[in-house]
Amino acid sequence: MQIKKNVSFTNKLFLSLCLFSIIFLLLLQSYIWNVTEAILYKNLGIKAQIQAKELSVLPTLIKYVKEKNTEEIAELVTFIFKQSDANYIVIGDNQARRLFHTANGSLYKPMVGDDNHEVLNGNSIITIREGSLGTSLRGKAPILDDNKNVIGIVSVGYMIDDISEMHKKQFSPFILVCVILFFALFLFSWLFSRSIKKQMFNLEPKEIALLFKSQKSIMESIFEGIIAIDLDYNIININQSARNMLSLNVEDKHLLNHNISNFIKSIDLIYGVNNQIEDVHDHICYFNDIIVIASRIRIIIDQEIQGWVITFRNYNDINLLSMQLTQVTQYVDNLRTLRHEHLNWMATLSGLIYMKRYKEAEDFITLHSSDNQKNLDFITQHFKVPSICGLLIGKYAKSHEIGLKLNFDAACQLNALPPSITETEFMSILGNLLDNAFNACLKNPIGTKTIHLYLSDATDEIVLEISDQGCGIDANIRESIFEPGVTSQSPKEHGIGLHLVATYTKKAKGYILFDDNQPNGAIFSVFIPK
Amino acid sequence: MNKKNDHTIEVLIVEDEPILAELNAEFIQRDTKVKALGIASTLAEAKLMVEKLQPTLILLDNYLPDGRGIELFEHIINNNLACYVIFITAASDMETCSKAIRYGAFDYLIKPVSYQRLKHSLERFELFLYRQSIQQHVNQRKIDELFNLQTKDFIDINRHSKGIEEITLQKVKDLFAQVLHPLTVEDVVNQTEISKTTARRYLEYCVQIKLLTIEINYGKIGRPERLYKRLDAQKSASYSDNKD
Repeated sequence: MQIKKNVSFTNKLFLSLCLFSIIFLLLLQSYIWNVTEAILYKNLGIKAQIQAKELSVLPTLIKYVKEKNTEEIAELVTFIFKQSDANYIVIGDNQARRLFHTANGSLYKPMVGDDNHEVLNGNSIITIREGSLGTSLRGKAPILDDNKNVIGIVSVGYMIDDISEMHKKQFSPFILVCVILFFALFLFSWLFSRSIKKQMFNLEPKEIALLFKSQKSIMESIFEGIIAIDLDYNIININQSARNMLSLNVEDKHLLNHNISNFIKSIDLIYGVNNQIEDVHDHICYFNDIIVIASRIRIIIDQEIQGWVITFRNYNDINLLSMQLTQVTQYVDNLRTLRHEHLNWMATLSGLIYMKRYKEAEDFITLHSSDNQKNLDFITQHFKVPSICGLLIGKYAKSHEIGLKLNFDAACQLNALPPSITETEFMSILGNLLDNAFNACLKNPIGTKTIHLYLSDATDEIVLEISDQGCGIDANIRESIFEPGVTSQSPKEHGIGLHLVATYTKKAKGYILFDDNQPNGAIFSVFIPK
Repeated sequence: MNKKNDHTIEVLIVEDEPILAELNAEFIQRDTKVKALGIASTLAEAKLMVEKLQPTLILLDNYLPDGRGIELFEHIINNNLACYVIFITAASDMETCSKAIRYGAFDYLIKPVSYQRLKHSLERFELFLYRQSIQQHVNQRKIDELFNLQTKDFIDINRHSKGIEEITLQKVKDLFAQVLHPLTVEDVVNQTEISKTTARRYLEYCVQIKLLTIEINYGKIGRPERLYKRLDAQKSASYSDNKD
């Protein structure tokens, strides 16, 4: 059992192929052996019988037998025997006594073999009997006189030993063929099992089944969308997340082996000119109007490219995730400072009340909510898009939390967004530019920590301008600022914020300008036509 | 007990701090047209009272012992209950505030609430109800008016100024009166004493009042240039060309 377990699949395959070919060849051999033997015996028997018959009808022999002239018989038959390949010829009389024997057996002795009864009845026969010379195959024929009476017997014999010798001689080339065939099969089995082994990466079928199953469950458990395609861009494999994200509610047969361009519209990533030579990681692009972060990895087997694996995730998911992660740590810090602040306020208030300075207490309280209230009132008054209001309120609160000041231009106004841009897209532009401004301000120790926002739809365009007193734009990345992965932040962030801003702006047929602010920092301006 | 009195606004106060709730009730009662129906100190209590008492207005605090005030707001919207909400939240919870804006709260107040501001809000609500009741023929203009009253329009700001000062505007106007060729923001900043952040506002304002127009110059690849030009500059330029 232990051994059986340890024999690998390919070895098993090899062994069973060998065993099969041996059994097959042996069976074939024994069958052919038997068949050729039977044919040989049959042919020789007929040959012996015919010779016996031919001899028995010789008129001279009939005459000599009738006269029992043994000398003449001997002369005649010896002459004929010389022409024949038979081992012996015996002529007997009507009592089966020898009149002649080519081996010079004594005359008038009964013929050995006890097979003459039938012949004496007038029939020619073929028998195998133990004779005076050994076991032999005999053809026997009666010698008839003019009245059709049996007057003698002709027996032509072939020795069995000689026949089997002949058989062996005939059969030996076939054995050689079989041996050659066996070696050929052996070699074939070996090569075959080896090539299978190679194609299966030295894995056992069970391991392959396990791999296949685990691969399937891994693919389904992954939150990323995965699509594998071959060199003709036909889909080989696709997981559930990919189907969900691309809303492909079709069966496998409509999906697999169909061209990917039927399902994903915008696919620069997939058809890119460099797709044969390099992989792409974390590329931001559109798959059917969904913004995704996608990677394209080549499938390479034996140094030959076989296709690609495309993995992708919804950009918004990742954005949300990173936002949440950064917020958690911020909240903890803020809470600590907030608590400290509150304690101070309570102390101040109780002090003011104790001193009966009520007016000051009231003013003190009003002061702390009025700033927020004023901003809230300003935002809701000037921006009529609730989601933008929400975003701005959130960013305003955030800027306070991190010690910055978000300043709304007095001329701000927004009544509605144009149809060319969705609320989410505009929020992404606004949010990313504000976040960049925040980060830039935090990095600059000497700036005023103030971010100025101007957003207006008073003209034919929506004008959005965000300026900060931050660290400004590094000259090195000035030209590539809107490309994905370009970032000035350390530790390195993903560098997709501005890429998204540019993508959405371009989609809405707008444009972006950026410039240095005075005395330091940057100004980003986005113009989107209505 | 004159419930049909049009001038009485019935208010439910949702606030878990008893002293604050009492103070709020006392404060709003000072106004003869507003009557406090009750005080709910938990979310469950508030839900019950909204259904039983059917107040016209709710002063809704967000932090309650058994949930958030915003949930009550959702409950009201989902059940199509006819009452308005003045949402009160802490300064640290702007997130919920933005949600309330989306749900269409009548007003949003930040704690600690200034009584002045609360009074203002209540007065505006009275006016809103009054206008709604007398509106016989509702035309679009009146809808707009009503809408504006509901959402904004309570702080006295000069809607026409939009932060535009005459002196600065004149500077910009003067600059464009002198030149015929288009100018970038950079040019304007260099030739006047306006800051970069202010310049855009004035230039866009000039576009709005049809004094200037915009020209986009796609000079450098991927970096367009936005130029401001006098709207009549084209005419004058060709006119002067003809003269030569």
